[in-house]
Amino acid sequence: MWVLAIKAMLADRAKLMTTLLGITFSVVLVNLQGGLLLGLIQKAAMLIDFSQADIWVGHRHMNNVDTGNLIPERWKERVRGVDGVDAVARYLVMFSSFQMPDGHCEGVVMVGCDSDPRSRMGNPWTMAEGDPEAIFRIPDSILIDANDVEKLGNCQMGDVREIGNARAQIVGMTRGIVSFTTSPYVFTTLERARTKYIHGAPRDQCSYFLVRAKPGTDIPALVRRIKTKVPELDVYDRDTYARLSMEYWLTRTGIGISFGLAAFLGLLVGLAVVAQTLYASVTERLKEFGTLKAMGADDRCVARFLVSQAVGSAALGAVTGILASVVVGTAITSPRAPVILTWQVALVSVVLIVLVCLGSAYLPYWRIRKIDPASVLRS
Amino acid sequence: MNQTHAKTLVARDVHKSFGSGTHRSPVLRGVSIDAARGETVFLVGPSGSGKTTLLSILGCIMTPDCGSVEVLGQEVGKMTPAQLTAFRRDNLGFIFQTFNLFPTLSALDNVCLTLAMRGASLRTARERASDLLNQVGIWHRRNARPSQLSGGECQRVAVARALADDPALVFADEPTASLDAENGQAVLQLLTRLVRERGVTLVVVTHDDRIFPFADRVLRLEDGCMVHEWVPSESDPLPTPHAGPEAERRRFHEEPVA
Repeated sequence: MWVLAIKAMLADRAKLMTTLLGITFSVVLVNLQGGLLLGLIQKAAMLIDFSQADIWVGHRHMNNVDTGNLIPERWKERVRGVDGVDAVARYLVMFSSFQMPDGHCEGVVMVGCDSDPRSRMGNPWTMAEGDPEAIFRIPDSILIDANDVEKLGNCQMGDVREIGNARAQIVGMTRGIVSFTTSPYVFTTLERARTKYIHGAPRDQCSYFLVRAKPGTDIPALVRRIKTKVPELDVYDRDTYARLSMEYWLTRTGIGISFGLAAFLGLLVGLAVVAQTLYASVTERLKEFGTLKAMGADDRCVARFLVSQAVGSAALGAVTGILASVVVGTAITSPRAPVILTWQVALVSVVLIVLVCLGSAYLPYWRIRKIDPASVLRS
Repeated sequence: MNQTHAKTLVARDVHKSFGSGTHRSPVLRGVSIDAARGETVFLVGPSGSGKTTLLSILGCIMTPDCGSVEVLGQEVGKMTPAQLTAFRRDNLGFIFQTFNLFPTLSALDNVCLTLAMRGASLRTARERASDLLNQVGIWHRRNARPSQLSGGECQRVAVARALADDPALVFADEPTASLDAENGQAVLQLLTRLVRERGVTLVVVTHDDRIFPFADRVLRLEDGCMVHEWVPSESDPLPTPHAGPEAERRRFHEEPVA
């Protein structure tokens, strides 16, 4: 039955094209919205994900990496003394002001990295130009991201600017390390950041301790041990803190609702298009469906026929939709608005579109149920 | 009782009205009819005489207001709609005036659909449908869609579809109305030959007096009542598709219904 239903569906080219367009549109919208949301929200945890630290230790109720409070630097020793800790790095993440030659300022997120080479964590991991270690060698040096060049007044390698009224020379450019908050990340050393570039930053405080565990250490157990040593602070493994950071922006900004609503609207459009074309194909074939009923087709048989067509449309549309998503996603992705297409989102889009198609089959099913088989003879 | 059960179709004193209250109009007024296994019965009469309503009741698509209808020994008037649907699926075949084939399916698939509906596997359905299309002479057109077939070819597909699952009875509603004389006669010749070979009872509603010669009996309805019964002359051969209506009429003699 289902083969014949699919054959009947494939033969009606015009309606098939309309249906596929609707489904493809929905699948693309769900995948791109999902991919954009993932891309954006993963930026919220980018510093954590690529920090090379196994554990993040910060102030109480820390919930996102970009807006951390300060903690006493001296507690570092308490953390370093915990069994299983290989290295501890101090890390500073604070807002500051980047001054352009024309006098106007741009808010930036200063990232201060520990200059101790034995415990280097959290410094840039991908470079478009220059050496990430240059900030530890060259005085007044900073790293900005190549994607933020325009935002920071088209500055180039070697250019000198002011941050917090202090001289800052660009000695390297990172690639794609852009923040969720849209304020550019500016990397420098911890000491330089708090003494020169951030007004009022206490010299004996930082935002986080980044902890590297010894190989083979049980991370959750180490988290618990560190917590007992510094009960005044929050301690999370890397994945947990990354998730917390993403959840913070998802829940506080409503970005999830915004993207979800767009995807939902896409699904609604798909539902309308598929329901309309399926309904139209049924209303044009009332006599034929009536004939089937006269010949003894029961409601279950009719439902199987329609469900086969609905699922067939969904399957075809899902394939074209996912292919189109890959093409469009690849074309529009950028470091500022990355589109991360995952099989999980693709799977969700396929499941949703199958449900939408099944839902849209209900209206024509209801219409066929109402057909009186005697009407075929009366006609 | 035994005699009744030997018949595939027995309807007694069937009444049917449509509408309600003062607008209720009777369509069938005490019609009785029976048909034996392998018999071909034509129902004729003017428009509004109740032919199609009677066909719907005999074909288990509709139930009578009163009277009894036994099909294959079962009282169908007492069946639920679901039981009637299952009964039609398992025992009856239908042919319609406008063929009612799925336009987006090939001739072969249209026959397969009927078999698939009855639970046959696609492979079995294709084998059976191919065999039937061969028997109705259009196997070579099996992959053509209805829009690519002539009216006569479409009705041959409809014949194959009606006979697909070896029904005990086939009901045909104006099967030649959409065909020219030559095709109409050819289709009826084919249909009556196939039903006779299979011992299938055939009930045909028609206005087309050119095909009367194919009937074993012709029953005439007027105003919801059975008024006459014609029996074709056994000495006359069935007409060729080119025989004229006048020649065909000579083959009958008219008998009033007892």
